[in-house]
Amino acid sequence: MLDATAIVTSSDDGFHEPSQSPAQKRKAQAAKGEGKPKKFKTTEASVKPPTLEEIKELRDTRNLFHSNLFKLQVKEMLEELQLKPKYSSYIDSFLETFTTAVQELENALLDTCQLEVPLHLRKENLNFKFVTPTSAPMLIGAAATGTLMGPKFVADVALEMPAACFQKDDHLNMIYDQKRALYLATMASKLKRLTEFASIQFAYNYHANNPLKPVLELTPAGKMGKHLSIRLFITAPEQIFKLNRFVPSNNNIRPSLFGDEWKQGQTLPPTPHYNANVLFDLTLAQNQQLLLDSFADRRNFQDGLLLLKVWLRQRQLDIGYSGFSAHILAAYIVYLKQQRLLHQSSSSYQVARTVWNQLANSDWTQGITLAQEQPQQLSMLAGHYDVCFMDVTGYYNLCANLPLAVYKAVCAEAKLAVELLNDMKVNSFTHIFMQKSPLYTRMDNMLKITQPGSVDQLLQLHLQPDVKYDYANNSHPQLLKLLTELLEKGLGQRVHAILPVELPTTPWSVDSQAPVIGRCLQLGLILDPEHAYEVLDKGPATNEDAAGAAEFRRFWGEKSELRRFQDGSITESVVWAAATDPPSQKRLIVRQIVLYLLEHQLQMEASDVQYLGAELDIVHSLTPSFKVAKLQTKLQLKQDTDAEALTPHVIHCYDALARQLHSLEDLPLDIVTISGISPIFRYCEPQPLLPQARLVADRMHANQLLHVIIQLGSSGKWPNELGALRSLKTAFLIQIGKQLKAQHRLHWQLAKEGLLLLKQGYCFLLELAHTKELALLKQQQTERGITTYVDNPASRELERRQYILPRVNGGLHALYQMHGAFGATVLIAKRWLATQLLDNGLWPDMATELLVAHLFQQRQMPHTTASPQTGFIRFLQLLAHTDWNAELFLLNFNNSWTEQQISDLGHSFRSDRQSYPLLCLATAYDQQHAGRLWTSDECPSKPVLARVTLLARHALQLIETRLLSQRLTFVRPAHLFMPSGEGYDLVIQLKPDLVSNTLCYDLGSPFVQFSQRNFRLPQAGSDQLARIVEQLRAAYSDFAAFFYNPHGGKELAIVWRPASEFAPKAFKVNELQACTPCSGGKVQVSRDILLEDFKLLLKDFYLRVCTPEQLKRERREHTEPKRYFNRPAEDDTSKPQKKRKKQKNAPQTDSKKRLIKSKSLSALC
Amino acid sequence: MPEIEGYRVVPLRMSPDAKNCHSVYMREHFIRLMDPNKPKGRTLFLLNVPPYVTEESLQTFFKTAGNVESVLFAEKPGRDETTKWYEGMDVPFSNAQTPFKFKVAYVVFQKSSSIGRALAIQSLDLYNSSGECIIKTGMELWHEEYEKNFMLDVAKTQTEIDAYMAAYDKSERAALAAAKASEADPNGWVTVGKEGRNAGFEQKESVIGRIESKMQKDKKTKELKNFYTFQIRESKMQNIVELRQKYEEDKRKIELLKQSRRFRPF
Repeated sequence: MLDATAIVTSSDDGFHEPSQSPAQKRKAQAAKGEGKPKKFKTTEASVKPPTLEEIKELRDTRNLFHSNLFKLQVKEMLEELQLKPKYSSYIDSFLETFTTAVQELENALLDTCQLEVPLHLRKENLNFKFVTPTSAPMLIGAAATGTLMGPKFVADVALEMPAACFQKDDHLNMIYDQKRALYLATMASKLKRLTEFASIQFAYNYHANNPLKPVLELTPAGKMGKHLSIRLFITAPEQIFKLNRFVPSNNNIRPSLFGDEWKQGQTLPPTPHYNANVLFDLTLAQNQQLLLDSFADRRNFQDGLLLLKVWLRQRQLDIGYSGFSAHILAAYIVYLKQQRLLHQSSSSYQVARTVWNQLANSDWTQGITLAQEQPQQLSMLAGHYDVCFMDVTGYYNLCANLPLAVYKAVCAEAKLAVELLNDMKVNSFTHIFMQKSPLYTRMDNMLKITQPGSVDQLLQLHLQPDVKYDYANNSHPQLLKLLTELLEKGLGQRVHAILPVELPTTPWSVDSQAPVIGRCLQLGLILDPEHAYEVLDKGPATNEDAAGAAEFRRFWGEKSELRRFQDGSITESVVWAAATDPPSQKRLIVRQIVLYLLEHQLQMEASDVQYLGAELDIVHSLTPSFKVAKLQTKLQLKQDTDAEALTPHVIHCYDALARQLHSLEDLPLDIVTISGISPIFRYCEPQPLLPQARLVADRMHANQLLHVIIQLGSSGKWPNELGALRSLKTAFLIQIGKQLKAQHRLHWQLAKEGLLLLKQGYCFLLELAHTKELALLKQQQTERGITTYVDNPASRELERRQYILPRVNGGLHALYQMHGAFGATVLIAKRWLATQLLDNGLWPDMATELLVAHLFQQRQMPHTTASPQTGFIRFLQLLAHTDWNAELFLLNFNNSWTEQQISDLGHSFRSDRQSYPLLCLATAYDQQHAGRLWTSDECPSKPVLARVTLLARHALQLIETRLLSQRLTFVRPAHLFMPSGEGYDLVIQLKPDLVSNTLCYDLGSPFVQFSQRNFRLPQAGSDQLARIVEQLRAAYSDFAAFFYNPHGGKELAIVWRPASEFAPKAFKVNELQACTPCSGGKVQVSRDILLEDFKLLLKDFYLRVCTPEQLKRERREHTEPKRYFNRPAEDDTSKPQKKRKKQKNAPQTDSKKRLIKSKSLSALC
Repeated sequence: MPEIEGYRVVPLRMSPDAKNCHSVYMREHFIRLMDPNKPKGRTLFLLNVPPYVTEESLQTFFKTAGNVESVLFAEKPGRDETTKWYEGMDVPFSNAQTPFKFKVAYVVFQKSSSIGRALAIQSLDLYNSSGECIIKTGMELWHEEYEKNFMLDVAKTQTEIDAYMAAYDKSERAALAAAKASEADPNGWVTVGKEGRNAGFEQKESVIGRIESKMQKDKKTKELKNFYTFQIRESKMQNIVELRQKYEEDKRKIELLKQSRRFRPF
């Protein structure tokens, strides 16, 4: 592809006069062509000379879009987005009816008592009189510019209040807003009585979560109403007030309105935000006209805006009071056109691209303007607002309500979009337009202040009255301002951004009272992984900057201490944790800081707010029932440790072993490379590994084996036969073992898979790798007697294990060093899959690791997360919304795949999809096996993949509602990390004393009670249960599926295959597995016989076989009924039911409820 | 006991009081192309043998019908299936295991008279006189597996290795000597080694490929490209063809994508 581009651009000149060159060519051909006339004829026939249009189109595609595919994809998407004619015609006809209806309305004195005014203000006697509108209503916003976008189309209609409704001082003290609301209410009540609007549903809503901007929402009856609604805005003519009254420095809300006293002669505080609020209405007509001038009948601009709107919507940055609305985008396009950065004939893609490009490098804090002549200095205006983008009149700031952080976030997104577009290696289309990435998945931590008491406290005690006047007593922006200022100061460079997370308001009926909104705040923190978890906040040095030091001390209160540092400086500083604390502890630092600041500065207790950050991290911590104190070890271990914190100990031990191996003397060949391949060497082992391994009665006992691959120095003397090579390898291992015993006094034993070593309480398994073995496995003789090397399953497995896995291990380890949250994210993800009864045999562990790595590697969001919990949410998002059939996950470590290779792989993947596994993963180290090494057709199989998708969707739904809800607390780990017990046909309970418990924090099983815990160490490498399940799957997977929790699960759940497998069938020699004869000369498979087989294979392990219902009943009888029933009913989140493809795995509806309501179990933990 | 399609059906009992038993289908082994390991007239063919049944257990059981020469398994009837089943088992220190699946078995008796007796049995009882199962299962099996197959005894292994390597060295030396002697074997073939005067190049795919590609490269360097006008014109034309092709291909791709409805952002 690259070559083609290069050639095209280089031969561009040749295309300048396309009409001439073919002619020249033909002449030349005629002159020379006699030599090979035949050949030319054939080519001439197949290649018709390109037409001018064709060349232009091909060239456009190259230059304007970066590939055909991208252009075509954009085209298809725009087609999908196109407003259907039935909607547009409905809007037109509605507008017509509405206009006539409005004109016929009569003037009337307002009868206030009958109407619910959609505004929360003290009602005053305004002498308001309804006057028939003098101007016709008009479409505004997206409906006018032709950029309406689904799935629910909202057409905005503006109606101007006649100037007669206003009096001289109406611009003051929110009288304007009251009149506006009254007018809206009157209009609603009058319209409602009309027969034309009988079928239409009337409701109020707030525009952009702004309590001063109620709008009337009209929803047509029937199917139309599902996809379309019309919003009625009330505006006012520009002339009623002088725009000058609303310059940002003016005050339009007097303190007396709120009963505050203000000294005579003192300047009144400016109310820039309120002023902008009124100006929005006044300047609407003019701004609309400006947009219309640019957008009307220009499909390219409209499409460009649509693209940008899709992009913004997918990122959810356009929601709420502080959102970056599409209106701003439209105005920005006009601005760029004014600045001659966009041309009238720019293509839609160029429009979008230019906007991104300009946004990425823009700085609106200094102010930009659409006005030809700006009435005030921009710098003066910019001082009043975070972000300043003046409209066509030069008075109204389009970005008045936009906080700086949101603007910065949009800029960052735009920058990323440009980078994605420039990166030929990724399919940027899906990343930019198709992938949903809700705002909450970008947040590392969240702070929720939702309790009315705490909100009141903040508003009354800590906010300056100026701010109250400025925002006209709207609580949300006030809270936002207060807290962002505080947290930004306190957290400094620990955070990239502090963004508000808003939910759009829901409409309410015209007959009920307007709801109070904004009395809560949800702040999302995007952390800077580099600085977020620093343990120390250093203030200014006392001797140099005394004032600064005093300020620092005042800010941090008694937490601030005078400290002397190694470089000799003595400064005020705050210490949040010890440098040696485990990473999970350090991840709580930001939380600590925020909670401390809230308490110290705002007198808020930790219980008054919700801080969400590391709730799910507990799942990989050490279970409290295992007492570390009883363990005999030299290491300093704490009881409240976790898998991540324990990993460095293992790696230290491994490093020491590697040193010993390297320095081993008296070996015929030196040990050259040593590489660990167990997940723990890349921080991906979710079960805490303690130094427990020991020698008991001459046998090694250990929870986990640590696999290490070693390679010897080269020698030409290795034999050319597999058996001899392996014998020699084993002899070498024996030699190594003996030398280790002699030189370093390490215990060793020989196992079939390698050399078992015991060191400092860890058990290692050394395997010797030799390239010749791989070659011998691959070796084949062709019929011509030529030796070839062909991949086969055995060789692939060996290569994966001994050559590729060590390198991937290195790559992932490096990833962990770069993104500290990677490891812990994998741990949570693995724990989640395990608790959903999915073990390595159903869903490969490596797939989890690589998918998470993919999340951290790809540049889908501007910031990689610093919090494992968010990483896990993103992982769920990936599982839930990926189209497995179309996606190939490529981990391009070190960027070693070239663009050409990637496009080739992508091409082969698309054209030959069947030959790749269902879940396709490729890394930079397995190019020749691309996509087929880590997963196979059977693992994960289609039903498993579907089940994982379903489970992830469900979990995500649960998390999302709890995360964004104002009332509910965050989801408990037990809700998520407990499988649904329904849907299984049989449960085989295993003997609790034969299956060791996991050292992880155990959240229990849906089937059985917690039994006596058993932390018996198994013999090293004898994972009997896993082997039995492997056997069961090998032999019986045609008849049943087996599920168990690899982390100490004490039961095996079984689902029979569909009944058709057990139906009588004709006798066929090759299809006789497990069949018994039945009537009529046919044979059939009997479940009872299979069950006997299961029992036989599980002999000594199984306790009993029963159905899930039986177990459930028993549980209910067992647990105290009082405790079970007296809990308050939790409102469960109804979730759209996804139709299951295979009935096999389908947990029924109530199973989902169960998953949510597993509270009785959570009570146990 | 019933018969079906010429097969005798007998239950496979793991214990005297077993109720739900697998049915094993058996008959005399007979196909046109006989395998010398499964001689005609002496081989009993068993279908639907459960995965956990071992060669030894069948051997023990069929002793009642006569002395058993060998028991062989295969995944399904057919040529080479048995070799496939036991593939890789002969290499020492490999992790190869026979598949754990439902299988077919061939029981080879020493005398052909045993077949009749074997076919007359009422049930295949894999337990001994005291009613104990002769197939090891449960903890016993796993313990044995671990002790015998997972762990290796060092001294024993070392002697095994020494023996194997000695044998290997011997055969290697013999092969080397034969190569040096360059004498034709009975079929008239001469082994050409890496050493010696007549050493040819290694018959490896990579070596041959390298030689061939070198030849091609040589050829190419002699060729002139973009030299004549017609060549330039042709390459330009080729370019357009390629562009068109790519465009068409992308279009097709989009068609495919369209079918899966992947252009709805929401």
